[in-house]
Amino acid sequence: MPCGPNRTTYCPTKGVPKIVSFSDIVDGTRIAAGGLSDFATGLVNPSVRLGVTGLSRAGKTVFITALVNALLKGGRFPAFEALSGGRITRCYLEPQPDDTLPRFAFESHTKALSGEARHWPESTSRISQLRITAEYTPMGLIARNLGSGKLHIDIVDYPGEWLLDLPLMRMSYAEWSAATVAASRVAPRLEHAGEWHALLSTLEPQKPADEQDAITAAEVFTAYLSRCRKDDVSLSTLPPGRFLMPGDFKGSPLLAFAPLDIAPYTDLPKGSLAALMERRYQAYVSTIVKPFFYGHFARLDRQIVLVDALTALNAGASAVKDLQHALADILSCFRQGQNSILSNLFGRRIDKVLFAATKADLLHHTSHDRLENILKLIVAQAMERAEYSGATIDVAALAAIRATREASVRQKGETLECIVGTPLAGETVGGTAFDGTTEAAIFPGDLPRDAQKALDGSLEGSLKFVRFRPPLPKDGTWPAIRLDRTMEFLLGDRFQ
Amino acid sequence: MSEPRHPQAFVLETPEREEEPQRKPRAITGITFEPEVDEGEMIVMPPAVSRPARFRWGALLMSALFVLVTMWAGLSISKLVEDFFARSPILGWTALGVAAVAALAAIVIILREVWALARLRRIEHIQVDAAHAINTDDTAAAKRAVDNLKALYASRPDAQLGLREMKQYEADILDGRNRVRLAERHLVDWRDGEAHRIIAHAARRITLLTTVAPTAALDILFVAAQNLRMMRELATLYGGRPSTLSTLRLARMVLSHLALTGGIALSDNLIQHVVGRGLLGKLSARFGEGTANGILTARVGLAARDVCRPIPQETSAKDTLGSLMKELVSAAPQEKEA
Repeated sequence: MPCGPNRTTYCPTKGVPKIVSFSDIVDGTRIAAGGLSDFATGLVNPSVRLGVTGLSRAGKTVFITALVNALLKGGRFPAFEALSGGRITRCYLEPQPDDTLPRFAFESHTKALSGEARHWPESTSRISQLRITAEYTPMGLIARNLGSGKLHIDIVDYPGEWLLDLPLMRMSYAEWSAATVAASRVAPRLEHAGEWHALLSTLEPQKPADEQDAITAAEVFTAYLSRCRKDDVSLSTLPPGRFLMPGDFKGSPLLAFAPLDIAPYTDLPKGSLAALMERRYQAYVSTIVKPFFYGHFARLDRQIVLVDALTALNAGASAVKDLQHALADILSCFRQGQNSILSNLFGRRIDKVLFAATKADLLHHTSHDRLENILKLIVAQAMERAEYSGATIDVAALAAIRATREASVRQKGETLECIVGTPLAGETVGGTAFDGTTEAAIFPGDLPRDAQKALDGSLEGSLKFVRFRPPLPKDGTWPAIRLDRTMEFLLGDRFQ
Repeated sequence: MSEPRHPQAFVLETPEREEEPQRKPRAITGITFEPEVDEGEMIVMPPAVSRPARFRWGALLMSALFVLVTMWAGLSISKLVEDFFARSPILGWTALGVAAVAALAAIVIILREVWALARLRRIEHIQVDAAHAINTDDTAAAKRAVDNLKALYASRPDAQLGLREMKQYEADILDGRNRVRLAERHLVDWRDGEAHRIIAHAARRITLLTTVAPTAALDILFVAAQNLRMMRELATLYGGRPSTLSTLRLARMVLSHLALTGGIALSDNLIQHVVGRGLLGKLSARFGEGTANGILTARVGLAARDVCRPIPQETSAKDTLGSLMKELVSAAPQEKEA
């Protein structure tokens, strides 16, 4: 996608010509140092760092819970050959390796998803980590005789909003401000930005800084962001992520800044409101965004990008387009490509990327191919980049926990491919409202054969995907769609 | 001396340049284009599709002759039976009974041949579907291939465990490639080891027989008979029901497969081939010949396996001629390393 003048969202590649700055050298050193320590520990304990990437409500927590549960409890996963072939002999959760990070609350998520009062996990508000160890019988003759293999799988869960910050690492305050203000002046954002625009016109960037002005601006700006995120709008490109999900930084001065109406390359006089905002922005990037990125994302081995295309389709073409832009900007921050001896030592690259359209259980399986095509269109830029860099990529329609069954309904001589489940309370389809206890067969509408239609707005109102109550686990595991294929793609070759 | 010649000029008429018609750019609308057929990634080689049936004079000749011979046989048998009736009714009835038994047997044999050929064709169809499913991840083709494979193995005692395992995945949502792989793992994979054993066994036997055979003519007979036997065993293993005609057809398919892939197989094994034959040939001419025949058999066996295996194999996993040759010259059969 070219960075044309008509583009209203962020364009991190545009701007000042790239000069290697001091901070670039520091960041590069961070990656190399981390890579070196990973390599050293990897010699003794082979481990794979699985990056679960996805915006908020894409289903990261559910995916991690289902994945860990599948490894721990086994179950029917025919396409994951190491597990279905019985080569994985034992899996267990390790004690939390990193003392400064909270552990992923696997047990409480499992509990939330089972029992009579089962419900989907609450949205994640802080970062957490889990290490799972798998013992397996290696395939190779030498490795087999040396003893059983052991693989640590490290997974990090975090609020998806924080991912939105990654593109900020490459933008200056003025660039970001200009882009954000410009984007808010066109539909569909315009109708939600009224209050913020009113405030924006009263703020003078050159005026001496006033703390109260900054705080008010941040509050009003945050309100605008959260309005854009509501279900009926479902926009995705809404940085800074900590404004929507502050985590431990609630009320901190680091979050007391907001975009001002300034041109991308204006000089900001000392002591002015704009200068204060810029200082805060820089501090935000260097003390929150960079440690988050370099601590968790710069050293990944495998990546799965979870995309909730269905919710965006529910909201319409503008939401799908916004999702497309957000993902393109975020995914360009990751280091992908084939690994060499050097990259093994100084910071590994992501050599396999799976793009997954989550919540595939809200559709009949005959539509999965079309969903995959729409996903390919949404992540086209990121896919191209990953493929060009030499990483292996795949696309799948995925449901880590499958909440529905399939059925076909004959109505007026035509057969509708439906899904059957219990829609959550408050969901409506075609005039029928659900109370959360009735089971129903839902026909969500036909996905277009031509994926472009998802972007051009010709689908408005013709699709409706509802959320369903989680299913009961059977023999300790939940039914799933293509979770086995996902595991095979991401981890299969590490169990050789 | 002749008259002095005056200067003259001849104007050459330049032929008028043919005006190239300047074609105007235009767009032609209202055409529907055939969608491009996506062949997918070439993970496995789809089997060579059998030639479309066309009119063959040879087949016509054979069929006509066959009908004539049958008619002649029928006529002479009925004459014979009549003769017997003329001599004594008891003899006549007996001859008629025997003739009826012979006719019944002939019909059964023909039906069996037809059935065996149909089965061979069925394996071919499965191969085409499976290759398509693996290469393009096509769900419909995978379902067809797996359903046919299950039907092929439904009555075989050695496939019951695999079929039962497969049953539990029937309702799952699986992609084409994964479904075919699953069927392969449960129904076909273990047969490869057995196939390896059959080929190695035949190759070793031929090496030995050629080495001790007294005359060259006997060699050829041995090699031909053993190769046919090996092909039948392989076909039985992978689900064929070999009979006379289908074995011949199988042999033809194997030969054409060898012709298609032989060149590739030759290049990477040529050196071993020459060394093996040269060195051993120096030691003992007969044994050298024997090894050459053994290698030939192994190659035929691998081709036969490719033809019979209902799901085409990925090249990387293929049993190479090298591993078979190692067994050929070693004394005891080795355990196959996966």
